[in-house]
Amino acid sequence: MRIPILKLHDCLLISIQWELDDQTALQFQEDLLRKIHETSARGVVIDLTSIDFIDSFIAKVLGDVISMSKLMGAKVVITGIQPAVAITLIELGIRLEDVLTALDLEKGLEKLRRELED
Amino acid sequence: MRKLIFNYVQTHKSEILGEWINRMKQEADERAVQTMSAQMFTKTSSEFIELLVSNFTETEEEFQSKVTGFAEKIVRLGWPLTVITLGLRIFDHIITDGMQEEELVDHHNFMEFSSEFERWMFPLYNTIIDAYAYTWERTVSLQKIALQELSAPLIPVFEKISVMPLVGTIDTERAKLIMENLLDGVVKHRAEVVLIDITGVPVVDTMVAHHIIQAADAVRLVGAKCMIVGIRPEIAQTIVTLGINLDQVLTTSTLKKGIEKALEMTERKIIEVEEEQ
Amino acid sequence: MDSCVKITNEWDIVAARQLGRNVAKDLGFGTVDQARITTAISELARNIYLYAGQGQVCIEKTENAGKVGLIILSEDQGPGIQDLRKAMEDGFSTSGGLGAGLPGVKRLVDEFAIDSTPGEGTLIKAIKWLR
Repeated sequence: MRIPILKLHDCLLISIQWELDDQTALQFQEDLLRKIHETSARGVVIDLTSIDFIDSFIAKVLGDVISMSKLMGAKVVITGIQPAVAITLIELGIRLEDVLTALDLEKGLEKLRRELED
Repeated sequence: MRKLIFNYVQTHKSEILGEWINRMKQEADERAVQTMSAQMFTKTSSEFIELLVSNFTETEEEFQSKVTGFAEKIVRLGWPLTVITLGLRIFDHIITDGMQEEELVDHHNFMEFSSEFERWMFPLYNTIIDAYAYTWERTVSLQKIALQELSAPLIPVFEKISVMPLVGTIDTERAKLIMENLLDGVVKHRAEVVLIDITGVPVVDTMVAHHIIQAADAVRLVGAKCMIVGIRPEIAQTIVTLGINLDQVLTTSTLKKGIEKALEMTERKIIEVEEEQ
Repeated sequence: MDSCVKITNEWDIVAARQLGRNVAKDLGFGTVDQARITTAISELARNIYLYAGQGQVCIEKTENAGKVGLIILSEDQGPGIQDLRKAMEDGFSTSGGLGAGLPGVKRLVDEFAIDSTPGEGTLIKAIKWLR
């Protein structure tokens, strides 16, 4: 199953709605980068509200995709990380430094706007 | 034989009580006797003896519920367990001595008496100590819950700004709870900036600092910013002396300054309103 | 109620953590502890898949002195861990991952024990107690 990527002006919107397995995560990485290339999007918002856990593999894929997007000139904001997910990530020792975050999709888009204006 | 003991106890109830209180006052830990008034001590003592006596007359269920009630009471009164065991032993001695004095027990039937008495006293010991221990454990666990509840509230002070005042020592268990409260609160109140006020935290050592840094990291992940306020001079000194790096966390000395900064971060400020003439 | 999942491919990792999450939910763990348990299982199952190729993860309920807990047992007959102390260091990885695996799992649970013999395999036991 592929994760749908929506385009909104110069931004891409992704809402991950179900538990990620390794293949889906890797497929998503590839799809997102191709989409950034095709649309020359400048910003990406990935919403994780429905995700109730992230292990080190998925965290790595996410971190990688953020760095890769940056290389291609697109800023990424992660939104809706659940408290339980944040706590497990921190306890695992995964800090996701330098990652932009926001409480929800709406605030994520606002933040992205501000980042792109600067 | 059982009947013999029963009759003796039944007819000598008040004497046993008097004797018991006397001996208790001599032998018991002074702390236990002095924590309550003489009147209270007599009252509780007579209840205790009443309870022991009722063990003969009532059904097991009735006795069980009485014991539980009594145990709750003495835990509340603060009688140590040692007083209870001492009390049971003295009760044992009084009856043995008393029945020997009245020559109800002599060296012929002493073996029979002692085994019968033992058979009666032993479950009593067990039941009372069980009830005491259970009540004590329950009190402790209730207190633990109460302590956790008072742990760490997150208070929304302005739109987008919340404050969590921390009071008392922070251990790993508490730090985990604080983190959960903090993150749930951030999401619930849709806070953009949270201020953790550590004015009430007596010591900030490497471990406490580590927990604070983790909390700040987690807050960032859910999409808000975290500021540590209430850093007293001695706390600043220990943090630097211990070589703890708080560079990645926003910090300031007072809650007041912190709130001003938080308002600034959310593009607002407090202004004075001039009264109209 | 002990149940096991054999780990032979990537999909089994998903199956193992789903089992863990369900058991954790049934035992009454809160959402944060559910996430901790699910994540720990995911890390352990992935280690089996990556390093040993196959093995199994078992979830059991345990009770001790009135406390209820969940045991995660991860077992494989793979190559074992050459340097246990190093494997328990943060940031150490032989697979190009984040190196958060084992020390991370240890932080997620309340009790953690590991037994590994090079050439014979690895057995890991992790326990999370219900608060």
